[in-house]
Amino acid sequence: MNRMKRMSRRAWLGGAAALAASAGAGALIGPIRAQTHAAPRSYRLEAVEIAARTWCVYGAQEDLSRANGGAIANAAFIQTPDGVVVVDTGPSKRYGEALAALIAEQLPGKRILRVFNTHHHPDHVFGNQAFPREALAAPQAVIEAMTAQSEALAANMYRILGDWMRGTVPTPPGRALNASREEIGGRVFTLTEMKGHTACDLVVRDEETGLVFAGDLAFLDRAPTTPNADLPAWRASLAALRRMERDSLLPGHGPVDPQGASLDQTLDWLDWLDGTLREAVARGLTMNEAMAAPIPARFAALGVARTEFERSVVHLRARMEEEILNGIPPDRL
Amino acid sequence: MLRIRPAALGAVLALCAAPAPAQEPPPDPLNSGMWPLVAEENFPGEIVFDPRVKLSLPAAAEDQFHVPVTIDARELAAEIGPIAEMVVAADLNPIIHAVTFRPGAKAEPFLGLRIKVEQTTPVRVGVRGADGIWRVAAAVIDAAGGGCSAPAAAHGQKDWMSTLGEARALAGRDEAGETRISLRMRHPMDTGFAAGIPIFHLSELTLTLDSGEELAELEISAPISEDPAFNLLARPTAGGATAAVAGRDSEGNRFAFSVPLPEEAVN
Repeated sequence: MNRMKRMSRRAWLGGAAALAASAGAGALIGPIRAQTHAAPRSYRLEAVEIAARTWCVYGAQEDLSRANGGAIANAAFIQTPDGVVVVDTGPSKRYGEALAALIAEQLPGKRILRVFNTHHHPDHVFGNQAFPREALAAPQAVIEAMTAQSEALAANMYRILGDWMRGTVPTPPGRALNASREEIGGRVFTLTEMKGHTACDLVVRDEETGLVFAGDLAFLDRAPTTPNADLPAWRASLAALRRMERDSLLPGHGPVDPQGASLDQTLDWLDWLDGTLREAVARGLTMNEAMAAPIPARFAALGVARTEFERSVVHLRARMEEEILNGIPPDRL
Repeated sequence: MLRIRPAALGAVLALCAAPAPAQEPPPDPLNSGMWPLVAEENFPGEIVFDPRVKLSLPAAAEDQFHVPVTIDARELAAEIGPIAEMVVAADLNPIIHAVTFRPGAKAEPFLGLRIKVEQTTPVRVGVRGADGIWRVAAAVIDAAGGGCSAPAAAHGQKDWMSTLGEARALAGRDEAGETRISLRMRHPMDTGFAAGIPIFHLSELTLTLDSGEELAELEISAPISEDPAFNLLARPTAGGATAAVAGRDSEGNRFAFSVPLPEEAVN
């Protein structure tokens, strides 16, 4: 029975491919479906040691897509004397399970003591479900944002990622962080609430290694995303990160960064973005015209720069219009 | 009691039996099942798809409540003469029509606007010149659902009525000597499809120069985004120091404000 089903699907795929080949653009739906069905929907996660007893699972420097299963953000884990601390959990239940399995393989017999969520964006926290509920923790504002927006965010993730999301239920942490310094399993962490990428961005500093987990306040070699951005607050947070004593820094997207290049690059992008979009409003350009602005050569190596720039036009336009266009009093009627 | 005389009935039937032959729209390059209806309602008459009509919109909607659209028929106008009207419609929106823009003699056939989309849909602009032919451009926008059926953000605020109609604007000359006019008004632009919230939207805007020359007229439907914002382009020959903007919404509220038009370049 199963075998028959598989055969008939294969026959259908063959037919669709033939149809696509013969009918050209009109049969576009053929190859797209064939690809979707053929994609292997399992994550192949790899842990890279980035500091002493600290590993990162790097995300692809891309957009969410069915090709990458939404695995675009960094997730990390730290071995403490008594267990494991995790920072962010990826885009889906399946990713969270793969991450938990990788941790179990890397650190057999170690219990997961704590899972930090750096902010509420789904590419960082929709794997929460695979971890012990009592271990999940984030600042209250992150929990609230996740709770309020989980339905809309989940709908969009399912739409974009399809079957990769199967069974994923947004799972906000039950534990609100209120300490600025915490010992977990014999290792000490400093916790700082910042903002700018979202209304609340958690920064975790590992006191033992001096590694700072900056979440999406820092991007390296990938254009920053701005759906909930407050640019002045973000700049202030970058300045605070710069002052923070650290041996190295892990951006939310991009490679581990001992020199702080991610802070420079993120600030440079935000300054350019802010200036370019404000100028477009001041000159009276339409949003579509604004989206066509050239991307400076120094950002050419950044992943998805054009896409993120266009998205940012949509995110930031209304607020800039409110600031730049003049308030006009009504005429007497 | 209603009585129908056989003779009158016969005349009615005769009329019904011989309707004016409906113009068949050309085949839709986007293969939308809605195209015949969209064409009939929004572009009645002869239709051709024409690459000189420029329609800019992103391939995917970052925000289904604010999809940026720019329509530009300057290239077409250079060849066929003045443009009478430009109509924007989205096939799969519950309200298909978004805006009808009628540029006056002193305005370019150019408009920046934002629309809500209920789902992935073809978006079209039809441009009609003096010859009456609709010249159409179309593109698909990929979108998450619900842009037309969620409550406006304004309804999350207690005092949204107190800011209704508040206007912001900026105008300045560009390097070509044309005046770019940006407008933004507070209005929830309710479609009537969110539970318990009746349809309520800005329905008309006219811009008139103080020289008396009419700059533009817009007929606005509910799919225009909340807090509607428009970018217009006035010709270098447009005279006057201000543009008077007059508006009305579907509840009969009237709005009026004046936008100063500076002489100096904005760049």
